[in-house]
Amino acid sequence: MILCPYCGNENREGTLFCENCGQGLTDATSGATLPTRQLEQMPGELSARATWGTASIGEKTSLIVHIRDVDDPVTVQLRDRTVIGRSDTTSPRKPDVDLSPYGALEKGVSRMHATIERNEDTLTLVDMGSSNGTHLNGQRLSPDQPRVLRDGDEIRFGKLITHIYFK
Amino acid sequence: MALEFDPYSVLGVSADASVDDIKAAYRRIARRLHPDVNPNHLGAKAQFQDVTSAQDLLLDPLKRRTYDERAARQADSDGLYYSLQLTPSKRTITPLKEPQVLYLLAEIFPDPRAQESIKTRETRLNLTLVLDHSNSMKGVRMEKVKIAAHQIIDNLADADIISVIAFNDRATTVIAATTAQDKPALKAKVSMIAPSGGTEIFQGLNEGVKQNRQFLGPKLVNHVILLTDGHTYGDQEKCVELASQANTEGISISAMGLGNDWNDEFLDELASKTGGNSMYIDSANSVVRFLNDHVRNLSNAFAERLSLSIAPDPDVQLELAFKLSPHPQPLDFATGIIPLGSMQANRPVSVLFQLQMPGEMKDGFRSIARLVASGDILENEVQHMQIVSDISLEVTQQQTHDEPPSAILDALSKLTLYRLQERAQEALERGDVAEATRRLENLATRLLERGEEGLANQALLEARRVAHTSGLSDKGRKALKYQTRHLLLSSSNEDPT
Repeated sequence: MILCPYCGNENREGTLFCENCGQGLTDATSGATLPTRQLEQMPGELSARATWGTASIGEKTSLIVHIRDVDDPVTVQLRDRTVIGRSDTTSPRKPDVDLSPYGALEKGVSRMHATIERNEDTLTLVDMGSSNGTHLNGQRLSPDQPRVLRDGDEIRFGKLITHIYFK
Repeated sequence: MALEFDPYSVLGVSADASVDDIKAAYRRIARRLHPDVNPNHLGAKAQFQDVTSAQDLLLDPLKRRTYDERAARQADSDGLYYSLQLTPSKRTITPLKEPQVLYLLAEIFPDPRAQESIKTRETRLNLTLVLDHSNSMKGVRMEKVKIAAHQIIDNLADADIISVIAFNDRATTVIAATTAQDKPALKAKVSMIAPSGGTEIFQGLNEGVKQNRQFLGPKLVNHVILLTDGHTYGDQEKCVELASQANTEGISISAMGLGNDWNDEFLDELASKTGGNSMYIDSANSVVRFLNDHVRNLSNAFAERLSLSIAPDPDVQLELAFKLSPHPQPLDFATGIIPLGSMQANRPVSVLFQLQMPGEMKDGFRSIARLVASGDILENEVQHMQIVSDISLEVTQQQTHDEPPSAILDALSKLTLYRLQERAQEALERGDVAEATRRLENLATRLLERGEEGLANQALLEARRVAHTSGLSDKGRKALKYQTRHLLLSSSNEDPT
């Protein structure tokens, strides 16, 4: 079974493009996902809010993080800069969101993996140069390049897959 | 028996195979193709018959010697040929409990000498135009169609054969099948067509096929072009039957819909029965170009009445067949014998198949399917050439990470768009507005990724329309269907002209 990183549809092994939404499912094809930042700048006709969740957040918005294979979602109270990673006994610094209870070490999450930054009315995700990378909706982020988050986006830290929702 | 039927390749044995070799090969292949394991499958049935007659021929010493002698003589002469190349999405496959998907690209390449030979020798056309002259054609549409017909007549060689039918509720033979010598007289007859009445396609098509039969021949491109701008009522089934019949006689039909008020599913089906094309002409201004391009391609034909039969192994399922080149077209694969129409001298004909492999496969090499390409090469004396190819791959526990061939990836990325559009339509037909909307929005996303902004906008617009009115606009529906299909054009081969 191949799980589509875009829509979650279960495709049979060997499928090259998601049968449900058309997302490429191999390494050679999946890079095509549109960066959210770019989408933001589309002219009015193409805003397509219905397709992609909203990017705008309110002052009190908190983030619900669903971690794959973990039953209860994690609620994150956002700061101006929220660091995501895993705690480590050898390191005195602790991330704001600690993923170590969710198998972060085995799944290749770095100690300081990525940050979510709060801007005026949007959130941006920045990879902090993690060893195994941060993927937003299937596309790998370049380190230190902020990307706008939207309600319902999939974020992958190393191999740890999460979905985020605004509340 | 035609010489192009090669019993050795049908059985997959060498020219010096012993009687035991032949019997063993027959048993091995017959097990896969036997009608008992492939009920109601014409492709497998025809291939099974070939295998049986190949064995019969080779087991009869006298017939075998006669064949060998004729084959030796044939090898000395220089008949043209085409070749069949099969590319699977994977060469090795890991067995799983559950079924998995495999794609297969079949490409039929014309003889490399074909382009040279076509220059020295004119392909002879037997062309029939079946033109709608119902009331709705009034004005610029009718005029443009006449201009197109005039240009086509002007471009015909004297030896080509032309007939023209005009139809509304009834059919009128404007030009009975004749050689295209007296062009001014022929054009004058076309000029007389005047719009009136309704649209009944069967009347026109039936008369058109009749006229085409007058000169029907294996050395000719026998082709009927239907051009309509309206719906036909109650006679669609008869038309499709007629198309199937025409196909068995060696006549292909292309269907062109003008404007937005015609039945695309019907014209698609009509064309697919004969390996012809179906096309969407959005405005009257494009008629002249469309028709002329189409006829030019016809006169570039190297082989005609091309067909591909595919017989998957009993545990393999064929899920989809789509012609990628020279003209993207959904194919009717229910019977296993797929008409592909004509092959141009400068472009391969390619078809993409989607297959489902079973779960629980055993390790080792296994066969997937047998494909047979048949057709008439116009220049050759002996017709009905056949090429047989078996596709197999290795089942192994070892994980391999080969990227699928880029030709398959590229074609499939575009075909996926066409299918999203198709699925949106299906959802609408079921009355599932939410799903249709979602599919159209997904389509817009994918189109945007490819930089197809215009079409993406159209998809979004239609998504909104669906959400409000539970239906697509006629124009939007056709634009999405035929333009997503058109995206495939650029993928397969750059047009060398």
